[in-house]
Amino acid sequence: MNGRFGGLRAGLVAMVAVTLAGLVTGCGGGDAASGSTTIRFVWWGNEDRAKVTKAAVDLFMKDNPGITVQTEYAAYDAYFQKLSTQVAGGASPDLIQLDRATLGEYQHRHVLEDLTSSVGKTIDVTGIAPTLLAGGQVEGKQYAVPGGQTTQMLAYDPAVFTKAGVEPPSGPGKSWTWAQFGEALRKVAATGVAGTTDFGWAIDWFEVWLHQQGKQLYGDDGKLGFTAADLTRFWTLTGDLRAAKAVTAPEVTTKMDGSMPNSGLVTKHAGSEVNYDSSLTAYLSSYGPGIKAAPLPTDGTTSGMAAMPPVTFAVAQRSAHKDAAAKLLSFLVNNPEAGKLLGVARGLPPNTAIREQVCGAAQAATKAVCDYEKSVADRIGPATGLWPTGSAAVKRDFQRVYDDVIFGRTSVADGAARVVQTAQQSLGS
Amino acid sequence: MTQAVLDRPGGSVKPARPVPRRRRAGQGTGYLFLSPWLIGVLVLTIGPMIASLYLSFTDYDLFDAPHWVGFDNYVTMFTRDDRFWHATGVTARYVGLSVPLKLGLALAVAMLLNRAHRGAGLYRSAFYAPSLLGASVSLALVWRAMFSTGGTADRVLAAFGLGTGGWVDRPQFALLTVVALAVWQFGAPMVIFLAGLKQIPKELYEAAELDGAGPVRRFRSVTLPMLSPVLLFNLVLETIHAFQSFTGAFVVSSGRGGPSDSTLLYTLYLYQRGFTDFRMGFASAMAWVLLVVIGVLTALLFRGSRRWVFYAGEGR
Amino acid sequence: MTRRSWAWHLLMVVILVVLLYPVGWLVSASFKPAEEVLTGLSLLPSHPTGDNYTQVFGGVAGYSVWHYFANSVVISVGAVVGNVISCSLAAYAFARLHFRGRGPMFGFMLSTIMLPQHVVLIPQYVIFQKLGMVDTFWPLVLPKFLATDAFFVFLMVQFIRALPGELDEAATIDGCGPVRTFRYVIAPLLRPALITTAIFTFIWTWNDFFSQLIYLNDPGRFTLPLALQIFVDQTSQSAFGPMFAMSVLALLPIGLFFFAFQRYLVEGVATSGLKG
Repeated sequence: MNGRFGGLRAGLVAMVAVTLAGLVTGCGGGDAASGSTTIRFVWWGNEDRAKVTKAAVDLFMKDNPGITVQTEYAAYDAYFQKLSTQVAGGASPDLIQLDRATLGEYQHRHVLEDLTSSVGKTIDVTGIAPTLLAGGQVEGKQYAVPGGQTTQMLAYDPAVFTKAGVEPPSGPGKSWTWAQFGEALRKVAATGVAGTTDFGWAIDWFEVWLHQQGKQLYGDDGKLGFTAADLTRFWTLTGDLRAAKAVTAPEVTTKMDGSMPNSGLVTKHAGSEVNYDSSLTAYLSSYGPGIKAAPLPTDGTTSGMAAMPPVTFAVAQRSAHKDAAAKLLSFLVNNPEAGKLLGVARGLPPNTAIREQVCGAAQAATKAVCDYEKSVADRIGPATGLWPTGSAAVKRDFQRVYDDVIFGRTSVADGAARVVQTAQQSLGS
Repeated sequence: MTQAVLDRPGGSVKPARPVPRRRRAGQGTGYLFLSPWLIGVLVLTIGPMIASLYLSFTDYDLFDAPHWVGFDNYVTMFTRDDRFWHATGVTARYVGLSVPLKLGLALAVAMLLNRAHRGAGLYRSAFYAPSLLGASVSLALVWRAMFSTGGTADRVLAAFGLGTGGWVDRPQFALLTVVALAVWQFGAPMVIFLAGLKQIPKELYEAAELDGAGPVRRFRSVTLPMLSPVLLFNLVLETIHAFQSFTGAFVVSSGRGGPSDSTLLYTLYLYQRGFTDFRMGFASAMAWVLLVVIGVLTALLFRGSRRWVFYAGEGR
Repeated sequence: MTRRSWAWHLLMVVILVVLLYPVGWLVSASFKPAEEVLTGLSLLPSHPTGDNYTQVFGGVAGYSVWHYFANSVVISVGAVVGNVISCSLAAYAFARLHFRGRGPMFGFMLSTIMLPQHVVLIPQYVIFQKLGMVDTFWPLVLPKFLATDAFFVFLMVQFIRALPGELDEAATIDGCGPVRTFRYVIAPLLRPALITTAIFTFIWTWNDFFSQLIYLNDPGRFTLPLALQIFVDQTSQSAFGPMFAMSVLALLPIGLFFFAFQRYLVEGVATSGLKG
């Protein structure tokens, strides 16, 4: 027993030695070159996006030897957990990536710097269409700059639709009405698979439908822009399709969140899916190379679709080096070399000139996104309708109540009323 | 460091104590041994706890300075928040199902492994493996896939004629998926039970057998009492952990607590309110309520334990 | 006798298969190509591929798998050392020593187990931020040297309480003070609890994603779980295959660690105490 105890002791000693060695190396933090400014740039995304972003950042550092950029990135959920902690703890990064759901929240809580004064000086926005630029504005002031452009689409598998004898309107100038859309879905359902995934789950697609009625999700005052009656009509529409099995069953719909593994299309429960076209490349790799994109149906002249930024870049108000951060922002958005590197990692390049360049040389997946955007360019509206503070809760409640509706736990009318009621509470905060 | 031995009775600097110095260590020694813990508790625990208690009386959105709202958060929580009560119910059901199942299974398998069969050691390590992985995201994802419609669980149940469909995507069954994930990790309490079982002197069993006690009687009269401190330990810890369970439900429901809030554990709701809705004051209040509930429950468990726990080292 | 052996083995194997099925699923998923990983629901891959592993070994965020692995090891081992030392000291104080306030302090210590992590998170972060320790390993290891894991203090207290008081008395009669009693009598007998502490600490620290996430910024300091989550981003195409492959690679050393130390786990204390 003594021998074994001795062995354990030796083991402990070894462990302590390893730990000390590791702690010493793990502690070496200071890597800021003397005399230069160091800024932190953070974003979310996977390895592919990280690779191209870091390459673009390296290019920036070469052009700006006085600025060192430290980059951090994480998956979407982890990113925001970490960002809130860092900002709350006083260690905010300098350049931050945000999306539609979070821009209003962060601006409302005075985390972001008002860039209006930098526009035209450090930050060049002349290459960005004003309709898209509006996607980074809050109360008329520019708080963030779009990092890309995306718009809504219907991703579909042509093979499934051809088997049903239907051809979705893919290409410039083509469109379909809600009735035609419903017809097509029912035909596909007759072949054994749902026509599309039940799109009633996301407030994003409700927004498109609302636009077609001439309304908006949120008013300019940050209050709700729709009524329970509106939502009832929308959910009745999806309810009818669901009854005809033209859209996916509740068990499939409840898992959806816009990501690939939870997608009803990718798991082959439906022949198509509504999503943003910034996901098109993901569909092509997850499902197969045949996926094509079609516009959403509309009954009138308004398509309801809009060109919006899937991500925006903003400068932190507490940053000690706002100028440097702004420079990096402008570089990422306007520099042609950077634009080529970034490609469509964040949707179409916001700068129109770079977009033409990237789309001109595009292949395969990138080309698919470019082609789709071009085909609907004439009918997409401006990026308005900022999602105000409290909108994250509204989006979540929307999906939660829809869960109750599709599982038969509540009626459409009651559900719609509940959504409006809780939304008003969330927005009032 | 051996001052207690060197000090002579009566000739010390400390105030005179009735107990001879040789027999009992002075207070100083106690505090000395406790010093790392004291530092940790003061700096890293009490400080943040007080801060979070203060936050629970404020409206704090993480970025702007918190502003005082008194008991508002607590009032809202108890009277105006349906989801709060729903989350409490879900958590109670989760704890009520997972803890007994987990501990029961752990004890049963530990007793099986306590037999001197060949290869027991290997099985023991193998049964512990799930606990190594259980808390990881990878495994929760595998779990989710396995319990989806068309997944393994669905197909196995269908083979037995219990066609429930996938569990993860149905409100009636989704919570069971999370419970199963917790129970699957019974290896941890099992290992502790096993250590406790090994401590029971064989002589006690032999004596009981000589007295004519059958296996059930031996279990009740020898195993359970001798194991009771360890049982209490496992019971308290597993209950606390169950109340704080987060990752499994988070991953299985993709962070939403669905379908239809059926897997909305208390901690998940707390997280949503704090980090996604930026209502950190409210989340802090929720955390303190949880703390109080767990505290009361633990106190009850300890209080009740006096009747059934037997400590060999403190016999009179 | 033999039939009983057979029955026992059969039962063990059945439990084994049911328990380890998800692990088998994980391993097989790591060999599945991207389209099949989460959608193909069968256990065996229809087109097994080593691509996921190739991708993992190609490095993530500019560093190799072994780099993250080493980071995880350093942090976990540091935590083990910290917990074993500090928690045993504190447990001895609570279980065997008498001092003013012992009862309330013990109760308070227990209550710290119940505190949900998410809420003390931000105040703790601010403290480490002010100490300049963010983006180092210190916030992950230092608390372990201060017995902040009340779970293990509690575990050891229960174990020590189960040790016969006669052992202490014998030591005192032999002239040992509390320190030497601890060092030469209690600590050796505490070995199963120390091993349990070591194993659990190692694994829990290894998997403590949230703390690692907020305290480690530079990818060069990332741990393995942190590097894993990069693969699973819901807004872009998630690389589940490589993530599973990396998880499997992460499993092996933990398994070996446990396997090496678990022999110590179940050595009876009472048996050696009474017979030794």
